[in-house]
Amino acid sequence: MTSLTIIARVTDGLPLAASIQEDEQSGRDLQHYQSQAKQLLRKLNDQSPDRCTLEAGDMNFHYLIAQGVCYLFLCEASFPKKMAFAYLGDLHSEFHEQYGKKVPTVTRPYSFIEFDTYIQKTKKAFINSRARRNFGSINIELQDVQRIMVANIEEVLQRGESLSALDTKASNLSSLSKKYRSDAKYLNTRSTYAKVAAVSMFFITLIIYVRFWWL
Amino acid sequence: PPTGVPPPQPGTPGLHLGHYPSLPPGYQNTGYQNASAPHNATSPMHPAMQHATQPYTQAPPPYHTGWPSMLPSLAAMSLQSTTPEALRVVNLLQERNLLPPTPIPAPTPCLQQDLQKINCHPEVFRSTLTSIPQTQSLLNKAKMPLGLLLHPFKDLSQLPVVTSSTIVRCRSCRTYINPFVSFLDQRRWKCNLCFRVNDVPEEFMYNPVSRSYGEPHKRPEVQNATIEFIAPSEYMLRPPQPAVYLFILDVSHNAVETGYLTVFCQSLLDNINALPGDSRTKVGFITFDSTIHFYNLQEGLSQPQMLIVSDIEDIFLPTPDSLLVNLNECKELVQDLLKSLPTLFEKTMETQSALGSALQAAYKLLLPTGGRMSIFQTQLPNLGVGTLQSREDPNQRAAAKDVQHLSPATDFYKKLALDCSGQQVAVDLFLLSSQYCDLASLGCISRYSAGSVYYYPSYHHQHTPAQVECFQKDLKRYLTRKIGFEAVMRIRCTKGLSIHTFHGNFFVRSTDLLSLPNVNPDAGFAVQMSIEENLDDMQVVSFQAALLYTSSKGERRIRVHTLCLPVVNSLSDIFAGADVQAITGLLACMAVDRSATASLSDARDAMTNAAIDSLTSYRQSVLTIQQPGLLAPACLRLFPLFILALLKQKAFRTGTSTRLDDRLFAMCQLKYQPLVYAMLMIHPALYRVDDLSDEGALNISERTVPQPRVLQLSVEKLSREAAFLMDAGTVMYLWIGRNCHPNFLTQVLGVPSYATVPDNLYLLPELDTPESQRTRAFVGWLRDQRPFFPSLQVIRDESQLKPTFMQNMIEDRTESALSYYEFLLHLQQQISK
Repeated sequence: MTSLTIIARVTDGLPLAASIQEDEQSGRDLQHYQSQAKQLLRKLNDQSPDRCTLEAGDMNFHYLIAQGVCYLFLCEASFPKKMAFAYLGDLHSEFHEQYGKKVPTVTRPYSFIEFDTYIQKTKKAFINSRARRNFGSINIELQDVQRIMVANIEEVLQRGESLSALDTKASNLSSLSKKYRSDAKYLNTRSTYAKVAAVSMFFITLIIYVRFWWL
Repeated sequence: PPTGVPPPQPGTPGLHLGHYPSLPPGYQNTGYQNASAPHNATSPMHPAMQHATQPYTQAPPPYHTGWPSMLPSLAAMSLQSTTPEALRVVNLLQERNLLPPTPIPAPTPCLQQDLQKINCHPEVFRSTLTSIPQTQSLLNKAKMPLGLLLHPFKDLSQLPVVTSSTIVRCRSCRTYINPFVSFLDQRRWKCNLCFRVNDVPEEFMYNPVSRSYGEPHKRPEVQNATIEFIAPSEYMLRPPQPAVYLFILDVSHNAVETGYLTVFCQSLLDNINALPGDSRTKVGFITFDSTIHFYNLQEGLSQPQMLIVSDIEDIFLPTPDSLLVNLNECKELVQDLLKSLPTLFEKTMETQSALGSALQAAYKLLLPTGGRMSIFQTQLPNLGVGTLQSREDPNQRAAAKDVQHLSPATDFYKKLALDCSGQQVAVDLFLLSSQYCDLASLGCISRYSAGSVYYYPSYHHQHTPAQVECFQKDLKRYLTRKIGFEAVMRIRCTKGLSIHTFHGNFFVRSTDLLSLPNVNPDAGFAVQMSIEENLDDMQVVSFQAALLYTSSKGERRIRVHTLCLPVVNSLSDIFAGADVQAITGLLACMAVDRSATASLSDARDAMTNAAIDSLTSYRQSVLTIQQPGLLAPACLRLFPLFILALLKQKAFRTGTSTRLDDRLFAMCQLKYQPLVYAMLMIHPALYRVDDLSDEGALNISERTVPQPRVLQLSVEKLSREAAFLMDAGTVMYLWIGRNCHPNFLTQVLGVPSYATVPDNLYLLPELDTPESQRTRAFVGWLRDQRPFFPSLQVIRDESQLKPTFMQNMIEDRTESALSYYEFLLHLQQQISK
């Protein structure tokens, strides 16, 4: 099975560890997915949802963010989501225990590349457990996975640009609405003056009428 | 004088005057008699002509006699006062003892002292001409090859390593910042290769060494010509690969006969913890005869499982996951396998060898990760794909005419090597065979995948103990030396210069990018250059070699070497800066190419012509005062000797019985060895060792290492009363004279008399005598200087190896080759034409 696992720091997208498994038969070019993964890791920040699945053709990116570290897993779309997140959770608990403290200080990319060995083993275990349909325990743990956001990778990668467009539009809108507000206020006062003037005219006319015609 | 060409004189057939005008005979004689007379020196003719016609009237004089010897030496003295030592005129026919008593150091480029102080070390990076000519036409006139010789991954004792998030490089040519850039002000630097002005990034303003701000010119990048960077993630196409080692072992009957498996398995067992790598390191094994055997070493198995694939036409991997295993987790299984392998095939009667299919299987196995393949082969592959035929006719080994079959018979191995190179797999070949193995074809697998080739002719575990020892030591070095994975190297040079030909083991991926799936510290490279645009108004030019690799610990690193050389515009300056060893090394590489593309005799002629052309050019264009004889500047005084040595080298010799594989292996080595070791192969060093003394000895880590002088390679230097050591790089010969002083025999060799000196003495006995200590210290010191292990062979009068030893006596005449003096006369004759 073709797959790609990357562990990276969220603050700057620095890759910390990775594991690649290429499948000769599928003949997929992982290069393209790798560059997508890199871009994605650069996009992510503290505000990003901490669990998300991104569709990329017939492959899916699943990611999990915990304690400032992002665990990204690329696999075939047919691979169950629950399994993917259970796998990422497992990676997180082990990685955090082994290297968690060192994460904020490292500067070299792939500083913890030796974690690759653990990643490969864990992945194998999860794929085998799928074969044995050994879901029971995972089902209970992962009730909330159902609510995980699903989006398209292209959209996410382009979201930045559309957001900035939205931002300019919104700021345009707000400045326009401000203008509208002041205009409206002005109009309001004008109409109030007009009303007051009309009413006072009416009363003056009435007074004059009462005074001169009735008396 | 008349400018027409007179008819050739009788008795001098085959002489061409070319376009040079000749002199009337009467004039010649005055020129010849009074070479240094003032009226000649100032005569309107080209001075070279006076000598150019000399052999017309006079046969070359006998050695040491018949010359008015005072005149040239007077002339030389008058020159000496105005010219540097490198340009001192040397008459090669007259001065015999030209070989310096110590190894020759590389010439120092003529640069300002502060620049030279930080320049790249010549063992790592050197140029054939330490002064670069200003124009191509000037270079053509000098008739010397322009090129660089590199040893980029040499083991260094001191190497500054820089970690920074941005590596400062020129924005247009991508040159790494180096000591030879210029800072216009604090904020801008000018590239020394393309002259673009770049900004100094904020981060670079801070100097981590001195912890000060605002001194970018004091950063380590600008203080060291050799430096290593830890690369940020932009320099990685994929996560750094683990160290992966795959061993492919020939286990046919022939292979088992040689007994190499025991040595290999033992050596790997001994060094298994010293293999470079980290916790991710993977290993795998494939053995083959007429079928391919895989070994399942997966964790949890009680013993290794052998899987045999007999379908060699369409090879497949039986269990792709468990053939390459993590060394740390499966070490016991690997050790089990290594212990049982030698006995597993003891009784095999299988004689066929399906090497091609085994290689295809290995390629499939390494495809996902990349790594290193080590092939151990003992015979001609004769089954399945990549089958080779014997092309050597033993009767033609000594033929004086052209040698055939120097180029590959099939492109199977080249194609496979290119596939390997694309997947970051390097293939190293160990050839242990007494039979012809077609190294010309097999060698391609290593050549294009940046591997190395080792060759042990007629290896046998009992009959050739010297080779067994050599194989053991080589294996130890091979298994434990540093290794770089998925590497690329790019060589840049100042605008105007361009690199056009590369020598070494690699694949040229784009015009100047060398793809090196593996890089090892024993690999040398050479490049040839031309001058495309005039280097007017440039004082200096620079060359930069950048090697990007993944260390065995999974770090991506860039090693950068920068060399700076002066530009000159006069021929005499070019000659003064010539580096004779580098020129010889580059010519050897060019000659190897020439023998494959054209023919061996072409290559031999080209080498002789190189000597003739450069000395002719020197005589005609640089010498102002003409003297008779064969004149050379002091810096090139050894050039004819080295050319003759090349002509007599195994790779290029004719007329002497040479096995085709021996010849091809010598060619591989000339192209692949770093210059220092290649020079020893070309011109071995001869020392007298029976009278070693502490006079002038070196003191290295409390050991006294005697320094005997280097002797000329001539039987005349040998004496029956003495013992001599010849250091030929990969092998050392200890020649013992028939009447050798008994003191040496008893105190050093530990034998009572000459007759009892054993034929097989490969290690000097450790005797507690000062003589023995000195000799061992000296031999040990020579061995320590190189990464491979030269074996020591004793030569006596009746030794089988005596002819091999004698063939290294380059200055002597043999049946098929000229002596040094005859060669000089030949050169002189050609030059005077």
